[in-house]
Amino acid sequence: MNAATQKPLLVVGAGIAGISAALEAAEAGQEIVLVERDPAIGGRVVRNLHYFPKLCPPTCGMEINIRRLERNPRVRVITGAQVTKASRSGDGWSVTLTHAPRYVNSRCTACDECSQVCPAKVPDPHNLLMLEVAAIRLPHADAWPRIYTMDRNACPAGCTKCVEACKFNAVNLDATEQTEELEFSAVILATGWQPYPIEKIEELGGGKIPDVIANVQMERLASPTGPTGGKIQKPSDSKPPKRVAFVQCAGSRDVKHLPYCSAVCCLASLKQAIYVREQLPDSEVTIYYIDRRAPGRNEDMLTKVAGMDGVKLVKGKVGKIEKGAQGLTLRVEDVESGKLTDAAADLAVLATGMMSSLKDAGLPFDIERDDDGFGLDNPRAGLFVAGVARRPEDVAASVRDATGAAAKAIAAAKQSP
Amino acid sequence: MTEEILPSAEFRAQLQKRGGATASRCYQCATCSSVCQLAPDQAPFPRKQMHYVQWGLGDRLAADPAVWLCHYCNDCTTRCPRDAKPGDVMQAARSLTVETLAAPRFMGKLVGRAKFTWPLLLGLPFAFWVIALYALNGLTIPEAPLVYDVLVPHWLIYVVFFPVTGLVLLATLISGLRFWTLIGKNQERSGSFIGTVIPAMIEVGVHSRFAKCGTAGSRRWGHFFLMWGFIGALIATTLAIVALYLIGTYPLPLDHPFKFVGNIAALLLLVGGIWLWINRLKGGEQSGTSTAFDNFFLYLVLLVILSGIFTEVGRFYFPPALACWIYIVHLTSILTMFATFPYSKFAHLIYRTLAMVHERMAELKASK
Repeated sequence: MNAATQKPLLVVGAGIAGISAALEAAEAGQEIVLVERDPAIGGRVVRNLHYFPKLCPPTCGMEINIRRLERNPRVRVITGAQVTKASRSGDGWSVTLTHAPRYVNSRCTACDECSQVCPAKVPDPHNLLMLEVAAIRLPHADAWPRIYTMDRNACPAGCTKCVEACKFNAVNLDATEQTEELEFSAVILATGWQPYPIEKIEELGGGKIPDVIANVQMERLASPTGPTGGKIQKPSDSKPPKRVAFVQCAGSRDVKHLPYCSAVCCLASLKQAIYVREQLPDSEVTIYYIDRRAPGRNEDMLTKVAGMDGVKLVKGKVGKIEKGAQGLTLRVEDVESGKLTDAAADLAVLATGMMSSLKDAGLPFDIERDDDGFGLDNPRAGLFVAGVARRPEDVAASVRDATGAAAKAIAAAKQSP
Repeated sequence: MTEEILPSAEFRAQLQKRGGATASRCYQCATCSSVCQLAPDQAPFPRKQMHYVQWGLGDRLAADPAVWLCHYCNDCTTRCPRDAKPGDVMQAARSLTVETLAAPRFMGKLVGRAKFTWPLLLGLPFAFWVIALYALNGLTIPEAPLVYDVLVPHWLIYVVFFPVTGLVLLATLISGLRFWTLIGKNQERSGSFIGTVIPAMIEVGVHSRFAKCGTAGSRRWGHFFLMWGFIGALIATTLAIVALYLIGTYPLPLDHPFKFVGNIAALLLLVGGIWLWINRLKGGEQSGTSTAFDNFFLYLVLLVILSGIFTEVGRFYFPPALACWIYIVHLTSILTMFATFPYSKFAHLIYRTLAMVHERMAELKASK
């Protein structure tokens, strides 16, 4: 069997796991189609300001990955498309891809003229809906492919301002949905995760109290491309918080919410504690935890943050958050002293967990899932799961996991003529 | 200072049998303590008590007033992320403490195992009344109009109940003193006991702590009616003795003010008993998980209430034989309730009150 006759591998989802799996398999000689639903690749990781434990920006690693993608002729990257049909064909898969209407084509130079004249504003999904942006725009500052996207539903009737503004004739308001049928030897599902919605954590004021936010929102607040231009401030009055509380296991390890540990929230809060302390030197940070889960070399980060001035770690799960006259009141038992306290804070960050997106991805594959909703490999059907779709893990583990999935998929593809 | 800890597997097994098995799920996150409306800031519960249970530290649990300050609101159980049911575990700890501190111990064991021993606990008093009445008058059912004194002479009631009450009070005193000494070892107190009992009893009287309960808040009124019903019944009994020997009226006519007190008490007992019974039938977190120990007590109380009301009604409306047998059942249930008082769930009356007095005296000491 030679590479020319070999059917390609399909990788669904171009977050860090999907990109890694696609590149590893392609660099091992496999033909790859990498499909992403969003208009740009990068998934959840590009919404982070920094990675832990090194505290480097994700754009750095993404740049390298994008170069690898651009240089590798074996990878075809398709953005703005979804798998809508799939059926077994021999030992492989026959798959229908549905491309969303491409209102802005590849002639786009990202000059931004269209965006500046666009009268329609929409909540920005890249910024978790915390910011309003033009309906026609670059998905985010470091988007790849560097092509504008459009929320056509938001357009006022008869408006053609963007079409007129575009000097390159890249905007087509009449674009339609397209479908494409392709044959694959095996499939890697890297559909990633969604944050557990804080509205479900009512007891901690999630969705009710403006100054109670989720860790993923904190990441955007601290980001220069975020809704506040990188200023960490209270949503209620746009003032910097003096006392910031992190509530670990908010909606996690809880039979009434997510029963499992998401493996990243402890480190994420330690990382965000550094954001707060660096930006607001007068601030006081308290992290309320059940267990401090920082395995391996991440323990160094725990030791570092625990020793920082202005950072306190208190063992005890916060039971209740209420809005008082002077900010927020957190009811918690300090387990080490055995005393109940009503701790005051200006901003509370709920360290919420991750849910596998497989459940709601609407994929036409029959994927086995474990009790927590995470996907299981099915080697006999040539279906493999990578990244957080398979289990909660951090970026580094996700990349390793994706490499493993690539190896398993290649092995399956070799057996599929 | 290091301290030797001796985990007791036996204690854990005992507690599991009484409905505390879920404690092993606890991972000590302390959500329970922070959502408890009754936990004092300086000595919160039930997180620490869950730890004692997991380690099998029965001696610490028996000496901990928090076990009794808990009113089984179940706000902890509602929010527990591990479904470890701290409310049920505290309830199990109370039932085990009642047994541990019982005087004599075998009575604690006997009532503690009501799941198996209830036929004995009810059967013995029943057999006693039947045999005593047979010996006395061959169990001859009197003619209508029915006067119960003819069937069961007053002197027989005194001969039975005065010694039983005396013994029970002695047993309660011993257990109460054991408990008072144990809790005093961990926390110093100051102030006068008598001076503190009164405000504590006023607090109990209006159920102000129970009012703070979230999940099981509806149980408050059932318990309130039941408690005042028992107090009313005690007053009515005293009044009846006064009427009999100081005024010389027997039986009391239905429109007598003393009878009115008794009927109000009966009504309170009926409402309270049925309230708690329905509450338990509804189940779920608002009622908690009932064990045989809990059920024995509630059904006994219901038997006392219903047989009492039918005894009163039966005198006028039932055939004398039926009314007399209901009366014998009533005397049986009362005797069982009296004799098991320090060993059944009823004992919470003494332990919880003492714990509340202790809490006040310990606070006074701490504030000095």
